[in-house]
Amino acid sequence: MTVAYRVENLVKRYPRQDVLAVDGMSFEIAEGEIFGLLGDNGAGKTTLVRQLVGLLRPTSGRIELFGRDVVKDAGFVSTVIGYMPQSTSALNRLTVGEAVYFAAHLRGMSRRDARRERDELLELWRIAAIGHKVSTDLSGGQRRLLQLAVATAGRAPVLILDEPTNDLDPVNKKHVWEVLRDFNQQRGTTILLVTHDAVEAEKAIQRVGIVQRGRFTALGTPAQLKTAIAQKLKVHLTFPPDDPPVLPFGVVPQEESEGSSLLMLDRDEAAELLGKLDLRKITDIRMTSTTLEDLYLHYAS
Amino acid sequence: MPPSLRRPRPHTQFTDLFLIQLSNFRWSWRGMVVTGMLAPILATASLGAFAGRDQESLTYVLCGSIVLSLMFQNQNNVAANFGFMKAMGTLDFFATLPVHRSLVILATVLAFFALSIPSLVATAVLGMVILGVHLSISPLVLLVVPLCVLPMAGIGALIGITVRSPAEAGSVSMLVTLLLLFMGPVILPPDRLPDWMIAVSHVSPTSYAASAIRQVLIGPVTGQVWLDMAALALVTAVTLWGVGHKLPWHQK
Repeated sequence: MTVAYRVENLVKRYPRQDVLAVDGMSFEIAEGEIFGLLGDNGAGKTTLVRQLVGLLRPTSGRIELFGRDVVKDAGFVSTVIGYMPQSTSALNRLTVGEAVYFAAHLRGMSRRDARRERDELLELWRIAAIGHKVSTDLSGGQRRLLQLAVATAGRAPVLILDEPTNDLDPVNKKHVWEVLRDFNQQRGTTILLVTHDAVEAEKAIQRVGIVQRGRFTALGTPAQLKTAIAQKLKVHLTFPPDDPPVLPFGVVPQEESEGSSLLMLDRDEAAELLGKLDLRKITDIRMTSTTLEDLYLHYAS
Repeated sequence: MPPSLRRPRPHTQFTDLFLIQLSNFRWSWRGMVVTGMLAPILATASLGAFAGRDQESLTYVLCGSIVLSLMFQNQNNVAANFGFMKAMGTLDFFATLPVHRSLVILATVLAFFALSIPSLVATAVLGMVILGVHLSISPLVLLVVPLCVLPMAGIGALIGITVRSPAEAGSVSMLVTLLLLFMGPVILPPDRLPDWMIAVSHVSPTSYAASAIRQVLIGPVTGQVWLDMAALALVTAVTLWGVGHKLPWHQK
């Protein structure tokens, strides 16, 4: 396994702040991996990411990208990464097409290749119809898609994306995860992303770090982290409010509101429930194992 | 390790960054019309009326208005642009691309210089017509005008990257513009200014800019023009070094 990022004892203290923004983090990201950072607002995720791309110098500790020091060799970092910041306004004097073209050309593509890349990415990210528009005239979601097109222009082998699905509608969110997964599988792109979208991210993320107060409270694959918490199944039932279903003896809803119930069951209890439930009286039934969102809520609390 | 991206050659980096910065005409053209043309021309007309037929005073009014136009279009717009780029994450974005920071500064300054040329020409031509001042242009104008612009752009860039917001950049730059404009023989001849102001003007780049512009547009060109250009080159070097040093690129 080739290590893309190796982070050792990373610390970041901002001037005139008592609390450390990043508090002794150590971890590795393998080449070709999709690594997700989850955490509350202000947990230190963006500070960590800005250090990984060389925008912010660590107070102490060391970051290596493919074995080269990110602080001492900042020029190398810029030839390997495509970075999407949280802000969506970086190139907002340019039209959509210009922004993508210049990003591809400044990442080393020839003029012809950069034009081809622009056309392909505008189609891929579903912004071809607004290619002539100036960024300031776009909606929040369109700007986010433009940011993704700009970050991915030039085909950098490592993508670092800070909240890539913010402002997007459910259809575009799904599309973003599909495209990122495709980049990872087809091109071997290493992807590090910060997200609050734990439910959708689960389909793409291979390993996750949950950050709180500048530290990892959990780090591993979703499967590894799930084994560490209770193996319950979550069952959501929706039914006509005036005709609730009869539940097996001993099954008590964890949450209840008019017309819906949430049950947390062991696997054999779930099988028993399905056998005894009169499904004709159920409007909707959803059964899920522990999700990334559950992990996030568990470890973040 | 995967193949890394190819770092574009410096001239490619510069051309792209220059074109990116030229796209600022999309917001700056209104300012170019109002502050780059109308304000200097109105100043020319009103101060020209006070100057009467005194040729020396009229010369100062015309050249002072040209300096005013250059300040509005270069110092103020560059300050606003750097303030905006800092606030909106554009500088961060550039810092993650394989480009050199000095080329970002150079491309920005030269793009705003290019955008200021229509205002400069309009102010000079209309001012000449309004005031009836005869121009005698020296070829040195090709050296003097860029040397007048660069220190102003450098001061603007320093303001833009050190203040906290684009709005603050605008107000601080306007204050500096007014101070530099009126603290010396820029619009008014030295015999109309108090001695202390003449003394202060020796550290103001606009005094040297106005002096050099008077010599290359009206004449006569004397040895003073070389002193003026040296002073402007020195301020350019100091301010642009300061910008390179302070530019938020890989922050501590």
